[in-house]
Amino acid sequence: MASLIACPHCGPRPKEEFTIRGDAGIARPLPDAGEDEWHAYVYLRDNPRGRHKEHWHHTSGCRRWLVVERDTMTHAIYTVTDASAQGETA
Amino acid sequence: MSSYRLSKGGNIDRAKPLDFTFDGKPMQGFVGDTLASALLANGRQLVGRSFKYHRPRGILTAGAAEPNALVTIGEGGRTEANSRATLVELYNGLTAKSQNRWPSVDFDLGAVNSLLSPFLSAGFYYKTFMWPAAFWEKVYEPIIRKAAGLGRATYEADPDSYEKCWAHCDLLVIGAGPAGLAAALTAGRTGARIILVDEGFTPGGSLLSETEQDATNLLAQTIAELDSLPNVRIFSRTTVFGWYDGNVFGAVESVQKNTVTVDPNRPVERLWRIAAKHAILASGAEERPLVFGGNDVPGVMMAGAMRSYLNRQAVAPGHSTVIFTNDASGYATARDLEAAGLHVAAIIDSRPDAPQKWTGSARVLTNAVVLDVKGGRAVKSVEVFSNGRTETIPADALGMSGGWSPIIHLACHRGAKPVWSDAKSAFLAPEKQEGLTLAGSAAGLGSFEACLGDGAAKAVPALEALGFSNASAAFAATSDNAIVSKPLWRVQGSKGKAFVDYQNDVHLKDLGLAVSEGYVHVELAKRYTTNGMATDQGKLSNINAIGILAEARKVSPADVGTTTFRPFYTPLSFGALTGASKGKHFQPVRKSPLHDWAKKNGAVFVETGLWYRSSWFPKAGETTWRESVDREVLNVRKNAGICDVSTLGKIEIHGKDAAEFLNRVYCNAFLKLPVGKARYGLMLREDGMIYDDGTTSRLGENHFFMTTTTAYAAGVMNHLEFCAQALWPDLDVQFASSTDQWAQIAVVGPKSRTILQALVDEDISDAAFPFLGAKEVSLFGGKLTGRLFRISFSGELAYELAVPAGYGEAVADAIMEAGAPHGICPYGVEALGVMRIEKGHVTHSEINGTVIPSDLGFAKMVSTAKPDFIGKAMLSREGMVAADRLSLVGVKPIDPATTFKTGSHILAKGATPSLANDQGYVSSSCYSPNLGSTIGLALVKRGPQRHGERVTVWNDLKNEYTEAELCSPVFFDPENGKLHG
Amino acid sequence: MVDFALLHRLALATAKSGSFGARTADGRIALTALPEGHVLQVLASPGHADIEQAVAKIGDGKPHAVRAYGPGQWFLVGDAPLSSSEIFAKASQLDGAGSVADQSHGRVRIEIAGTAVETVLAKGTAVDLALSQYPVGRSAMTLIGHISALITRTGPDSFELMVLRGFAESLWDELIEMSLEFGVDATAAN
Repeated sequence: MASLIACPHCGPRPKEEFTIRGDAGIARPLPDAGEDEWHAYVYLRDNPRGRHKEHWHHTSGCRRWLVVERDTMTHAIYTVTDASAQGETA
Repeated sequence: MSSYRLSKGGNIDRAKPLDFTFDGKPMQGFVGDTLASALLANGRQLVGRSFKYHRPRGILTAGAAEPNALVTIGEGGRTEANSRATLVELYNGLTAKSQNRWPSVDFDLGAVNSLLSPFLSAGFYYKTFMWPAAFWEKVYEPIIRKAAGLGRATYEADPDSYEKCWAHCDLLVIGAGPAGLAAALTAGRTGARIILVDEGFTPGGSLLSETEQDATNLLAQTIAELDSLPNVRIFSRTTVFGWYDGNVFGAVESVQKNTVTVDPNRPVERLWRIAAKHAILASGAEERPLVFGGNDVPGVMMAGAMRSYLNRQAVAPGHSTVIFTNDASGYATARDLEAAGLHVAAIIDSRPDAPQKWTGSARVLTNAVVLDVKGGRAVKSVEVFSNGRTETIPADALGMSGGWSPIIHLACHRGAKPVWSDAKSAFLAPEKQEGLTLAGSAAGLGSFEACLGDGAAKAVPALEALGFSNASAAFAATSDNAIVSKPLWRVQGSKGKAFVDYQNDVHLKDLGLAVSEGYVHVELAKRYTTNGMATDQGKLSNINAIGILAEARKVSPADVGTTTFRPFYTPLSFGALTGASKGKHFQPVRKSPLHDWAKKNGAVFVETGLWYRSSWFPKAGETTWRESVDREVLNVRKNAGICDVSTLGKIEIHGKDAAEFLNRVYCNAFLKLPVGKARYGLMLREDGMIYDDGTTSRLGENHFFMTTTTAYAAGVMNHLEFCAQALWPDLDVQFASSTDQWAQIAVVGPKSRTILQALVDEDISDAAFPFLGAKEVSLFGGKLTGRLFRISFSGELAYELAVPAGYGEAVADAIMEAGAPHGICPYGVEALGVMRIEKGHVTHSEINGTVIPSDLGFAKMVSTAKPDFIGKAMLSREGMVAADRLSLVGVKPIDPATTFKTGSHILAKGATPSLANDQGYVSSSCYSPNLGSTIGLALVKRGPQRHGERVTVWNDLKNEYTEAELCSPVFFDPENGKLHG
Repeated sequence: MVDFALLHRLALATAKSGSFGARTADGRIALTALPEGHVLQVLASPGHADIEQAVAKIGDGKPHAVRAYGPGQWFLVGDAPLSSSEIFAKASQLDGAGSVADQSHGRVRIEIAGTAVETVLAKGTAVDLALSQYPVGRSAMTLIGHISALITRTGPDSFELMVLRGFAESLWDELIEMSLEFGVDATAAN
């Protein structure tokens, strides 16, 4: 029915304007990091109860990728920042 | 005028009579009536039959918690079953019918169920209908389905429209009773944006049932002032049904539910999403029924409801009323009844002494309880037990009051749990949560003055926190002088069934059964007995059940707790949830710039996601799609064809690092792609599987033009943006979606060059513009600039011409004109599909999320030189290099007269059909007019090594087997001679 | 060489035109398809998100020519069509600080005006369009129902919507539906 995400560029918008990708707390491994690290990056995810960072794309808005830190239990949203500020580089 | 409608009093408009029918019988009411009050005024108390036992049932409440008076309103496509008569605003021409009875509500054969009641106690469905097993599907289930439910829904289409809207405010006030009005007034005076919502057709809440002049004056003044404030919006006839994340509230407004002549330009219901910075929940409190024998006989009503019908609609409950109360409220009803000249036979007060001063005529019995109500279809007498003596009092109405439960539901929709308060004998919600504050009787207050003061007092800090420092309480705070008594959860020694949940027919013994069978946990007891599971969601029954369980377990209700509160507070129509998204507006329509061109050429369209794509173009005399498609395919390969490929994703990629970026997202090399060249690219996922394919061209040093498949255009764009923003933010690369900017026209076949040369100013001979050329071109003697690409999906000599979308139709017309002498014809995606299968070209039928480049014969495309690209690392996994992976191969039937279907599986010749023997599956198939046979592409274990092998194509769904041969996937022109023509 | 009349077919050429809905005289909604002039999408290179001034210089200088809708993202809009060489020249003026993509055919502009315009648009978007929160000149990219659109406030009672060409007719039909209760006069082709 609702859920408003406060996009840092556009202000509060309903979740229908976004696409959720998944855990933002994982970094893309270096190309030669080895099979285990790559397997974990592609397939393994924690399922935390509580604070958790996710990548959200403001698809129907500014089209910026964002890092949303929210609580999976209470749905409280702590921070929403532009993903490029996180500097997730291999 | 019946004897139940008093000749004066009430807030009905006696100058505006309304005609309506109930079970076909014509009746009259007035503006200001609800259906329930009008039925009562007409002497109609028996309005339905209960769910299980088919007991006669009457109107119990005057509001949203009504469990009995569920009727079907309206006819045809407007039929609305299970409508609560207490909330239906009476209007001229309203038709209402009782439910769950046959042949009539007065004489219902279903009442025989009552005789079976010993077998129908709680949980009976877990113990019956189990034997014999075969009877379940054929006998029991059909009978239960027929018996289930109360009203019947219609199968006719709803002719009315619905709407969904957003609203924004600083403060949302939920409920326009004393506390809500006080909060709204306090807030409105600061200039803040206020929305005041109330489910009634006029604001006032409990104030509407007051007779004191002070109260009615206050109501009128407050509303007048609120109406005058431009920053205050009042939503009447609107129920807030849920509190959601982001402090958004869902509400439904009845816009035109009070008329037979619906204005088609307006919706009948409107769903609101209200984004509030803060909210005050002033939703009031719900009076509790008392649990005693016969407490469901028509004529037994909530004391507060009696008072409401009396004071609002001038309806008398009966000629002689008994009040059974555990609370002061019962006395207020008795006082108002006597003031209206009605007889109150007795006030039965369960408490040892009556704290209220009673100066009326009715006698008061203290330390007294009602054991039973006699009458069946109407109250006839009441059996009372008081101080060791039993007494039968004749009466035709009984008003009961078991105390008050704050209506806290919304406050508990986001996970907060209510807390039992011994002082208030009620469950209270946490008074302050982020974004929401409770006020008034919803916060446990009792007296009218205290609620007024509380509403104002709660608004002030909320407004200050929002930056409105000029907030000042509109009413002074007063201490609450309401007396709260200990609850009477049930009357011991009740005779006959004592109901706890009216709508699901759950009575006291059922709860006793649940306890004795071990289902003592509140969530288990609920499901075992179905208490609280009806459409009224336990508004009256949950609290009594919890109290009864607490007593049975000898603990406090705090230890029993409540079941989970969830939206919606009251039922919501599918229409309101759908809004305008139905019929033609179910989803947006996305049209190619060549849509009208295709239409005028006779195209038959197919929906591809939101797009409409031309599927084939029938010519006069063609009666089947196959005729048209076969003709198109043959003609394209012989002469020429024109096809609209505008729907494929197009992305302009600019930037100094554009080439480097493309090199990282494709598995093949792009860094050194020369300007003026196109290249087929495979984009992988990080797990190594192919995500999408397309052709990317270099139009300038720092300018690339990427195409994607139609279906994955949006996904690819999101992916590119993720890579650029989150993975490699230092790269200088920008993406602009240009799918809609360009009309993209494929001109295909041996005559394609000749035809295009008539439009293109530059030389496009084979030497001047070889295969995979991509460049800007001038058209029509310099009149227009476009882009020309020499690429081929069909395997023919072929080009794609891109022109700005607005010129698409004109250019397509010009191509048809230039091509006419050469035999050009338009063709659609069916013929496109046949030709690409004939050439073994893959689409998302093959690229289905489980294939890697080498599976499709593209091993050489995977760069070994690039240090990194998306998907590189996972491609080297053990399973990805395994020898027996399903790989691309062609399949054709031995006998060309036989066929097979896509999705069929491949078995080695002679093998038994089984998963163990499964060799792979057919991913695409079609009839090839060039080969005169069905052909297919398949993914088969070691497919490329098995050309020539005889197999069986197995379709288990239709039990079809086709003898076939595995072969090269390139069925037509394997040397690709036509391509380089 | 084919003798060819270069016909620019407007995206809303065959969209519904006329008066629909309530027959009131006051408070009606006016829906107008705007001229298909030029629409340029300007995207800043990394580290150059502050090129707003340079972007304004290549606009046509008229009110609401420059529409910011995200960090380093603008649409430049105007009623006069531009040739490819004119667009190329403008792109060069950015001197590598950003790129320009021609969207003159890819986007369609619609004006919607009337005293109830905020109420109508609130049936589609969750953005708070009240004048106090959304002043004249502000732009935002958002959903109207299920269709993405750029909403620019052009006056106290008027907005300009910009939508992908493929969805223009669909959005036009939706806007008419949303305006029926107030009465709407729709002009698709001038």
